[in-house]
Amino acid sequence: MIKLSISFLITIIAILLVVLFIFMVYLLVQRQRESHFENARDRYIQNYSQLWYDYLFNKEHFSMVLVPRGRAQVEAIELIFSSYLKNIINEKVQCDIKQFSNQYLKKFYEKDLLSKRWSIRMNALYRIADLQIDELLIMCQEFEKTKISEEEYFQLLKIYSIFQSNLFMEKIKMPIVSYSESEYRRLFVLLEDDVFIRFFDDFNSWPANIQFAVIDTAPVKRNMQYIDQLKKLLSHDVAEINIRALKGLYEMGVIDEIESYIPFVTSDMWEARLMVAKVFKHVPLTYSYSYLEQLLQDENWWVRSQAAKTIVEDRYGIAKLQQFIESSNDQYAIEMAQEIAARKEENK
Amino acid sequence: MDDIIIAHEIMQEHEIERYFEIWRESVMRSRLTITAVFLKIANTTEPNTNHQVTSFLQSKLRKTDLLFQLSDGNHWGIFFLQSSDVEARAFLKRIFAILKAERKLQHIALNASITEIRNNNVMFEDLLVKNKEMLAGDEQLTWTITEVKDYSEQPTELVKVSIIEQNAIFRQVLESGLNRLDIPHFTLEVKNYEDGYSFLQSDSYKTGHLHLVIMNDILPRKNGLEILHIMRNMPNEKKFIIYMLSERNSEGAALNAYEGGVDEYIVKPFNLRLLEAKIKRTFARFWL
Repeated sequence: MIKLSISFLITIIAILLVVLFIFMVYLLVQRQRESHFENARDRYIQNYSQLWYDYLFNKEHFSMVLVPRGRAQVEAIELIFSSYLKNIINEKVQCDIKQFSNQYLKKFYEKDLLSKRWSIRMNALYRIADLQIDELLIMCQEFEKTKISEEEYFQLLKIYSIFQSNLFMEKIKMPIVSYSESEYRRLFVLLEDDVFIRFFDDFNSWPANIQFAVIDTAPVKRNMQYIDQLKKLLSHDVAEINIRALKGLYEMGVIDEIESYIPFVTSDMWEARLMVAKVFKHVPLTYSYSYLEQLLQDENWWVRSQAAKTIVEDRYGIAKLQQFIESSNDQYAIEMAQEIAARKEENK
Repeated sequence: MDDIIIAHEIMQEHEIERYFEIWRESVMRSRLTITAVFLKIANTTEPNTNHQVTSFLQSKLRKTDLLFQLSDGNHWGIFFLQSSDVEARAFLKRIFAILKAERKLQHIALNASITEIRNNNVMFEDLLVKNKEMLAGDEQLTWTITEVKDYSEQPTELVKVSIIEQNAIFRQVLESGLNRLDIPHFTLEVKNYEDGYSFLQSDSYKTGHLHLVIMNDILPRKNGLEILHIMRNMPNEKKFIIYMLSERNSEGAALNAYEGGVDEYIVKPFNLRLLEAKIKRTFARFWL
């Protein structure tokens, strides 16, 4: 049995109590600082958000009281600006925010980029992009040369895509890190149309995940110039690209001719047949019915279902399905037509 | 040109008064402008002219217009329901042109007065007296169109506006924008809420006033779609004009919102002036 003297135990307890006390004081001080920071931030929002509104939206004069003094006020301004930028489109407001940020916030983010803490550096990169602080572009390029994480590099690409599209294209061509399709989509969606369309010029030179991301981003941009680009991809050798192009064209919702789509009615891939049945939603039934009738008798359930749904969307769709039910011998197709027609009648 | 139809039954002054009182009240309740036109023969000595005028006017009216003859036999009145003075003036110009051109009717010359009614401060008797006075001018003048302006002043209606948005800074922007908004004949009483539950607790949506609700689709406690559902299931749901703001720029989300009953689905970020213009157009549609 270990023998411990009482005086030794008291010493240990006293030390622990002192450590605990120091720790508690530390926590209290930290909490106090945090609370002080939050109060200063909220006070700034409370006092100056109306001034900001009047300056940005009502063309009133800029007041020097709006210039931040300290981190808390910078955070308050970030909150005000992000509320405006996230909710409101106004070129003048965006321009004023950019000008102000370049003039008064730049020095804070410059310092943040040198921080040892990853979260502070990431936050600075986000703000540089959101507030369009283009005067920090060179600083960002210098930052790229240091040891940075994948996430930081991704954020840098986002900054390049906004401020210097050529540099962005160069970086994308020489990928240091390979990102997922959804990450590339997040980058491409920010690109101006004249930069984004360059991806279609030498489409085959890009890796598959970039190709897929480009196709998926095109319809989101809602620009008619991508219709022809997507249509060109319908004759691509890779089936996945054909199917995604069909999906993109369906999402664009503008089908100017059906000749390019007809070969997919007899495609070996059921996904392609399904997508073409969807595409025909945007085509008058008079032109597409014979193909949809063929798709209604497809071996795949999804294709049959989509063909019936596309037919029934038309004003005379139910009548067409009834006509088909009476004349067809294909029991599966008849059942599908009956089901979709009945559902449509119910929803009327 | 239409052949003249000889004398039909026509409503008389004493019969029309009861109808007028109902229409006058619906001017306010349903925001439907009515316009009264009174006509008088200017100068003719030919017999049977009154019958000819009656038949002619009856043949030119729509099913929603009501013709009646005043007790003195020299004046006719027409009530154009859901029509403004612009339409009444166009009607008069058209019938005047026909009368001038038609050989069989060339002996008829008319004068007319127009009264646009946009409030309920009008008594039938006063309406007749004012228009008769207007038409009792110089006998030599023909084809004149005068106007009685006494009842065209539209009353100002109170509209409740509720902004339901979680972001306090953006809420303040919306509130400031709406408080500055000048909509003719409507005053806006703007209130804001940070979540759906506090809006429902406020009970302000239960009053009978016209109510403009501008809300986000995603809200803490009760979300936008739930509030939409509650409002659209109320018996007087037509009083709500619902604008939904959303970050989701997808056809599916917009379709879902419209099918649920929103009047406008606006994707964020949006132009504040565009929102204001949409609101102004919404209110402009309430009156002709």
